Amino acid sequence: MITGEQKPIDEIREMIAPYKRILVLGCASCVAECAAGGEKETAMLASTLRIAAKMKGEDVLIEEKTLDRQCVRDFVILLDDIIEKYDAVLSLGCGAGVQAVAEMFTEVPIIPAINTEFLGETRDQGYWLESCLGCGDCMLHHFGGICPVARCSKQLFNGPCGGAMDGRCEINPDVECAWHLIVDRLTKFGALDRLENIYPPKDWSKKQGGGPRKIVREDQQK
Amino acid sequence: MNNSSKLKRVLEGGGFAVTAECGPPKGANSDVVLKKAEMLRNKVDAVNVTDNQTAIVRMSSIAACSLLKTAGLDPVLQMVVRDRNRIALQSDILGASALGIRNVLCLSGDHHIFGNQPQAMGVFDLDSIQFVQVVKMMRDEGKILGGDDLSQPPDLFIGAAANPFADPFDFRVIRLAKKIRAGADFIQTQCIYNLYRFERWMGMARDMGLTDKAYILGGVTPLKSPGMAKYMKTKVSGMDIPDELIKRMEGVPKDKQREEGINICVETIQRLREVPGIKGVHIMAIEWEEVVGEIAERAGLLPRPVFG
Amino acid sequence: MTGEQKRTLALYYCQNVPASGERERQDLEEKYGGNIRLFPVPCSGRLEPIHLLLALEEFADVVYIITCPEGTCRYSEGNKRAKKRVEMTRTIIASIGLEVERIGMIIGSKENPISLADHARAAMERTLRLPPSPVHN
Ligand code: SF4
Ligand code: SF4
Repeated sequence: MITGEQKPIDEIREMIAPYKRILVLGCASCVAECAAGGEKETAMLASTLRIAAKMKGEDVLIEEKTLDRQCVRDFVILLDDIIEKYDAVLSLGCGAGVQAVAEMFTEVPIIPAINTEFLGETRDQGYWLESCLGCGDCMLHHFGGICPVARCSKQLFNGPCGGAMDGRCEINPDVECAWHLIVDRLTKFGALDRLENIYPPKDWSKKQGGGPRKIVREDQQK
Repeated sequence: MNNSSKLKRVLEGGGFAVTAECGPPKGANSDVVLKKAEMLRNKVDAVNVTDNQTAIVRMSSIAACSLLKTAGLDPVLQMVVRDRNRIALQSDILGASALGIRNVLCLSGDHHIFGNQPQAMGVFDLDSIQFVQVVKMMRDEGKILGGDDLSQPPDLFIGAAANPFADPFDFRVIRLAKKIRAGADFIQTQCIYNLYRFERWMGMARDMGLTDKAYILGGVTPLKSPGMAKYMKTKVSGMDIPDELIKRMEGVPKDKQREEGINICVETIQRLREVPGIKGVHIMAIEWEEVVGEIAERAGLLPRPVFG
Repeated sequence: MTGEQKRTLALYYCQNVPASGERERQDLEEKYGGNIRLFPVPCSGRLEPIHLLLALEEFADVVYIITCPEGTCRYSEGNKRAKKRVEMTRTIIASIGLEVERIGMIIGSKENPISLADHARAAMERTLRLPPSPVHN
């Protein structure tokens, strides 16, 4: 899932200050799972902004709506009937959702309400952990299912570095050393000898080959 | 002036090598580097120049190495993969060789979160082992990554670092083997305070035949105070300082603590010389370069060999 | 009640609170002439920040939550969860400059059970100590 966190309310208030009729737009997919921009959070943010506006005696209309997926045009199009009412959209979608809305409704300014952060997993209630960087060439099978690209602070392919202590990363004792996990896991599989090989430099062109990456699948097209 | 690596010649000649560390200034003043050069002249075989160590911006290590070279010393260019991608790294390797720098130490580098530019984008395009491999390919095959030929290969003695004190312990020597297989000619270790653990690690390295494949130099750092020892023990990741040493430092009056730190350092070097497979020492006197000569002298490492 | 003095309190309470049946609820609302709005919840853990925010936005000067006594929660963790949500909602209102005291929480005591009517009086007293909400004025 893609994770994010809501921006501070002051920053949001500053961004929406020029507008009078605002649609607060949530997304019921990833950002709902990470409790940043789902229906609940959208209602909370809208209510908070209305309270703040009332306190300041500002005459603004703030309404809310949550789409099933803000990054898919089939859903974004549902705004077609209502968008005219508003002079700005405050989106709680991830960066992709924000841009999808912006692309479809070019007349309305769209403002991001969350900081999109990472591709991760829900580790526990209220705990999300970055686990993939979308490198475009997955190598998890070499590393016991633990990604050194996303989870080692130095992106080592031949770790662990000299700072690893007691299974903790040198950057912070709260951070697990990805390489310690990799070594442990491969030891369990009896496959530690795999790490005797020197893993060659990674082909980053699969991640940032020039311009935004795209996937085109004819079989999926109409 | 012979334009080859003095470090390499000492090691290949079977000598016990001595290297020291020199941190470039946080400014553009070449005189600081030259002053340090004078402190170290004839006291050591080669001088490592750190590369924005602890991710604090300092004069570039290539520039400082070049200054040392001009002053007649044999610099070891430390290069971290934190700040440069493979294009910049390979280009700097060529530049360094052209400037007459003959030794390079390939490192990952301290994470930038610790330094004075925590907002920087960390590069880490190659890791240190891959970097060793690339430098070796450039030197021995005259090729860069991707296979393009060089008009002239760089002439460099290739080094890597090893930390016997980081975890997981058993994997440490496997990683050393990888660095050597990647192409490291010499290895400089993390500062040694826990000789017991170090000797165990060296034993494993000998068993794997690694001490015959690369020159291993043991790292030492003189302690200035018990406070410094405690700080390093708790705050510097991958550092192993036994409590007895801290107690020993605490046991002497304040004005004798530096001397005690030097004593410990000299004793450590003497013990390291007895460890089979150790080919030299690397003295990292952090911002205390003036003490290196005294340590080398007292450890019986002077005079250093002179080459024509 | 004069306009000056009028406050509206939204009171959410766990149905485990003693003497909190439908009768008592109606009696209380009548007694306070609409200045208290009472909302029974099966478990205070079910309350979401949005409920508290909407009450503050729409009508209430102050919101109170009365949980069942600690250790007696039917859903075992409900009142603990309620506490975290109250904290979070307080952070939100503080971020827009609203006094955190506008959201209150009373955790019932097992040894010393208090009736809904007594809770209501206590909460109303504290409500009156705050000025009218800037949201509605
Ligand atoms: S290897 Fe690449 S694709 Fe696979 S988990 Fe890591 S970053 Fe993601
Ligand atoms: S301590 Fe582990 S996770 Fe952290 S940078 Fe080093 S190898 Fe990577």
